[in-house]
Amino acid sequence: MTAIIIFLLLALLLITGMPVSIALGLTVFTFLFSLSDVPLDAIALKLFTGIEKFEIMAILFFILAGNFLTHGGVARRMIRFASSMVGHWYGGLGLAAVLSCALFAAISGSSPATVMAVGSIMLPAMVKQGYPPQFGVGTITSARGLGILIPPSIVMVMYAVATSGMVVTGPNGETVMSASIGDLFIAGVVPGLKLGVTTTYRAWKFDFPRLPRASYADR
Amino acid sequence: MQRFLDQLEEVLIASLIAVATVLIFLSVTHRFTIGAAADLVGYARAHEMEGLAAFAKSIFKSINALKMTWAQEACIYLFVWMAKFGAAYGVRTGIHVGVDILAERLTGAKRRAITTIAMTGGVLFTAILTWIGTDFVIHIHSGGQTSSDLEIPMWIVYLAVPLGSALMCFRFLQALHKFLTTGEIAHHDHGAVDGLDDESTDLAKGGHA
Repeated sequence: MTAIIIFLLLALLLITGMPVSIALGLTVFTFLFSLSDVPLDAIALKLFTGIEKFEIMAILFFILAGNFLTHGGVARRMIRFASSMVGHWYGGLGLAAVLSCALFAAISGSSPATVMAVGSIMLPAMVKQGYPPQFGVGTITSARGLGILIPPSIVMVMYAVATSGMVVTGPNGETVMSASIGDLFIAGVVPGLKLGVTTTYRAWKFDFPRLPRASYADR
Repeated sequence: MQRFLDQLEEVLIASLIAVATVLIFLSVTHRFTIGAAADLVGYARAHEMEGLAAFAKSIFKSINALKMTWAQEACIYLFVWMAKFGAAYGVRTGIHVGVDILAERLTGAKRRAITTIAMTGGVLFTAILTWIGTDFVIHIHSGGQTSSDLEIPMWIVYLAVPLGSALMCFRFLQALHKFLTTGEIAHHDHGAVDGLDDESTDLAKGGHA
């Protein structure tokens, strides 16, 4: 019963459009003040110790580096690189879109940034060349999933830090320690490459127009 | 006053992150130089090079005299302070993520009501945090606890919680006031990427630049 009230309250607060952190915090406060007797000092201490971890600094610097790269004009060069490498095959721009998504995802580690950077350029270009818009949107949005799979990915660092120190029991009764960031990155490589290859295949299969072949000097 | 607060926020965040970066860089360099010097001593001893061994040993001793063990703790505290003030900065620039699908659909009085509720929630939450944080800092102050490496009083470190929350509360009040008077909400575009203007026409023509 308590759980239902809490989740209802959380959902109610969330849909008003307040920041998610505030909605979570207010729900927790309601619970703490009305239904439990946790000392208030514990809450203040938790506010501090929650982010007092050395690993979280990795996220900070990682996002900073990603921002430098994202806003420093690397996106343009990557898209040009990708289209000059694979643009002359069938469905050239589609392939180039997937390749640039993969490259951009690898440096930015963020899916929204990837889809905006690559999509805003590649989609108009594809439509102008006579691709169906649905196909263009589909290609780019599926390739965007590479953003959280190809290391380094912000989501993976966050997951590993959030679960650090946890010990849980696995499906076969064995104890599982918390995930290491390195292991998660390695785990992301193969699905990332697989998604890249399958999306490339779909883009290549249809007989879509190609770009003129780029000279080796351009590449 | 307003401009002073804005600038204080930005300067504080930027200098905290800069100091933290430099500290960590120095501490890592220090650690690796000590390792290299120790290796050099070992190498020189194994190959019976007296002069080199003495030289490497003196380097090792002088580097070892500098203690950088406090750097990690200092860095973490700087980071926490930055995060608390960064949250307040985030309220001003509208960077906090919320589920605004309902608020976007509604218009007129309903939209006004729901956004007011959302912002009042923010004000309430941060006000409670400020209260709890102040209470906590007063407790720690009377206890006289100090941090493990830097040995600075912990209440100064924990001051980040009430100060950051108070600033955040002020920012929420400001945002609420701005919304009620002008109807504007600060919004941050998470997907914006600079430097990509008319690339698509160029690319469609087959230009490889």
